[in-house]
Amino acid sequence: MDPSVTGIQEPFDLIRLSLSERVFVKLRGDRELTGILHAYDGHMNLIMSDVEETIMIVDPDNIANGQNVVNVAKRKMDMLFVRGDGVILVSPPSRT
Amino acid sequence: MDESPRPPSPSRQSQSPPPPPPQSHTGSPTDFLKGVVGKRVVVRLTSGVDYRGVLSCLDGFMNIALEQTEEHVNGVITNRYGDTFVRGNNVLYISAAEPL
Repeated sequence: MDPSVTGIQEPFDLIRLSLSERVFVKLRGDRELTGILHAYDGHMNLIMSDVEETIMIVDPDNIANGQNVVNVAKRKMDMLFVRGDGVILVSPPSRT
Repeated sequence: MDESPRPPSPSRQSQSPPPPPPQSHTGSPTDFLKGVVGKRVVVRLTSGVDYRGVLSCLDGFMNIALEQTEEHVNGVITNRYGDTFVRGNNVLYISAAEPL
């Protein structure tokens, strides 16, 4: 295995290096989370705190000029358990 | 034992030439995946969303780590991320975006 410049050897290393950091999580059902990652496991079950959830709601009755009108709902949660099978993508803060 | 007399072969067709050496773009799926690590790839999810970036690594679940990631929806860039982890169950395919 040829570790690239970032020195990660398996995808979970990316998550491990993001513990205690604010991460972006894309979920099924047009939902996104940003919050501080506290724990994860091999299913990508996540424990996050200080979470803001963004829900994209496309209103099919309200399609103007061929462009879907997307309503965005947001809510905040202090502490959250995310079941792993809903996770599509996790992006750690950009390390520069 | 094993020195049973063989009937003379009627022709020399049985002596086929050895197969040509395998070319670089043949091989198992695993060989392909090993070959694209560190290269630019397009990862398409079952939802139709594409992620273009440099493949850092992947595992047996096809969980994927990408660098310099661009999210494309219907051919339009919708997000950029420095690094991303993509959970393997969402992956439809991984396409090499540069010569191997």
